[in-house]
Amino acid sequence: MSEPDAPLLEVSNLSVTFRTDAGPVRAVTELSMVVHAGETLAIVGESGSGKSVTALAIMRLHPKSATITGSITFEGGELLTLSDREMRHVRGNGIAMIFQDPMTALNPVFTIGDQIVEMIRAHRQTPKAMAWKQAAELLELVGVPEPARRAKQYPHEFSGGMRQRAMIAMAIANSPRVIIADEPTTALDVTIQAQVMEVIAAAQRETGAAVILITHDLGLVAGAGDRVQVMYGSRLFETGGLDDVFYRSANPYTKALLSSIPTLGSRAADRLTPIPGNPPSLLRPLPGCPFEPRCSWAIDICGEAMPDLRVVADGHSSRCHRADEVSVSGVDPHSATTASVPIAAGMPAHVAMPVSPVPEVLG
Amino acid sequence: MTTTEPILQLDHLVKQFPIKAGVLRRTVGQVHAVSDVSLDLFGEETLGVVGESGCGKTTLGRTLLRLIEPTSGTITFQGRDITHIGKAEMRAVRRDLQIVFQDPYASLNPRMSVREIVGEPLRIQGVDKGETRERVAEMLQAVGLLPEHGNRYPHEFSGGQRQRIGIARAITVHPKVLILDEPVSALDVSIQAQVLNLLEDLQERFELSMIFIAHDLSVVRHISDRVAVMYLGRVVELASRDTLYDAPAHPYTHSLLSAVPVPDPRAERTRQRIVLQGDVPSPASPPPGCHFHTRCPLATERCRTEVPLLVPIDGDTLHQVACHYPLQAGETLLERVSQVAVTR
Repeated sequence: MSEPDAPLLEVSNLSVTFRTDAGPVRAVTELSMVVHAGETLAIVGESGSGKSVTALAIMRLHPKSATITGSITFEGGELLTLSDREMRHVRGNGIAMIFQDPMTALNPVFTIGDQIVEMIRAHRQTPKAMAWKQAAELLELVGVPEPARRAKQYPHEFSGGMRQRAMIAMAIANSPRVIIADEPTTALDVTIQAQVMEVIAAAQRETGAAVILITHDLGLVAGAGDRVQVMYGSRLFETGGLDDVFYRSANPYTKALLSSIPTLGSRAADRLTPIPGNPPSLLRPLPGCPFEPRCSWAIDICGEAMPDLRVVADGHSSRCHRADEVSVSGVDPHSATTASVPIAAGMPAHVAMPVSPVPEVLG
Repeated sequence: MTTTEPILQLDHLVKQFPIKAGVLRRTVGQVHAVSDVSLDLFGEETLGVVGESGCGKTTLGRTLLRLIEPTSGTITFQGRDITHIGKAEMRAVRRDLQIVFQDPYASLNPRMSVREIVGEPLRIQGVDKGETRERVAEMLQAVGLLPEHGNRYPHEFSGGQRQRIGIARAITVHPKVLILDEPVSALDVSIQAQVLNLLEDLQERFELSMIFIAHDLSVVRHISDRVAVMYLGRVVELASRDTLYDAPAHPYTHSLLSAVPVPDPRAERTRQRIVLQGDVPSPASPPPGCHFHTRCPLATERCRTEVPLLVPIDGDTLHQVACHYPLQAGETLLERVSQVAVTR
């Protein structure tokens, strides 16, 4: 470890481009971010916003068809120039990942215990019997009942929530410094989701790891995040502390997203304020701001020039030409947006992307 | 608004799926997908049905359209028992009972143009071509698409637009009842609101009664007049929307609501969350007594043996709960749990 204030993980100017039959698709564009020890950074975005590709790039698990530029440093060392062998040492040991779908991420022909033991022994010279004991302890830590017996079972004998616990046990097996959780609860029911989020929080307390939580669920972010990054159309749109983004957002997309979702607390008779149109096509990026066609704040310049990420307050930045105006308009995320948004009906059909390389990669 | 006469009534509806095993494919057990569900749908109301995966909500939706035949019980539509009517008669009834499916990618035939997809129910109902063409154009406009979109194919549309096509197909025959099975859960967050608002508009315009099946409690609260909560094939609580969300009586409803994350950091920080232990038991071997007793912090011996019936609370027929120890209005589950702990 270097000096105490130095970030654990630093991503600078990261771009990830996929070659596809329909032309190059830039899934992540000039993204910079830092993660400090012990904190939870939430990355929020809709499908195609680039959040999962960012995670895969950090783990260097992106497919061969992708080209990466920029820099990713972990504990001061550059990851993008490491050899495959060196990178294998970082994976699981320094940075571990919890995937969305535990059924496809676990190997069906090995027992849960085998897979955790393999994880431990890949990085430490632990005798097998000892590793099995550790595996049972890890399963107990993540709340799997009868851990010694369950370790001898196969993934199909586990329920969805239990599988996700097993994945978390694998991820924390070597006390990684960073845990990347990519939509860890999307496949789970709410009561099980609450259990799994508690397990991740407990694992974080136990290991002191930083957590990068990737999700589309703003509710999960509100409950678990310390800082938030909002992504849209492959770019970082807003970043700040939890309260900055939820209560003092300086970005029209974040604001519109917050007021478009029905919440348990909101008076139900209120009409939702939808975001018109569709998410942008990454195949044909617009010259200006990718949110411009859907934005109620858009002015002429928004269609012509990409706005920079500008600082609106300490630790709070927004990508918007009108960030300063947006940030002072209304405090409550659930109050209606100030400008009236045209109704979606009759919007021209943005023809959907014929090939979608990104979701398939994430599959 | 809502009428007092039920348009659709389910009476003791049961659906069991046989589990077959062995070379002879003998039935070795039953999956109890829907167990003894009785519900009324009133005219022009939206009845929300919520529950976790495996609770039987999707089977319920399909059974009441007889896309899946019920094992027992009766389905009454506009006063007429439709449980055992023949295929041709049922086809005529389906003009009034339509469904929108969850997955807008799987539920539209990729080889059919949008015009053919939306016009298919009319063709089945024997409407002539000229009128079909007119009606399809009208429906596309009603769901926020353009008439010229009729010439395109499903792959040319985004998820939200595909769901609009699915909705247009369902309402093109002017049904009285629309069953919506997770209509927005496959859509991006920013698109969900568009479709929810559209459904509200269409309900008013076409005087639809809707059964809205979903796992997302926030979405159900937004759109429903009344809400039924299902757990392992049974309705455990039924109430008007605000009663259910503000004063839930069933411990399961209470813990389900407390598990939903809300996009409000301040509320999340002060929230007392009840994290239920364990998983939902398998519907192939549901526990005896109250199905929820294996996870319920209030369960007693009585809950393990005696099935609680769905009965009105305090004579309020609109609020029904299936629990031996329902929570009182304003009482939280945590309060009750600590009370129980003291008296034991």
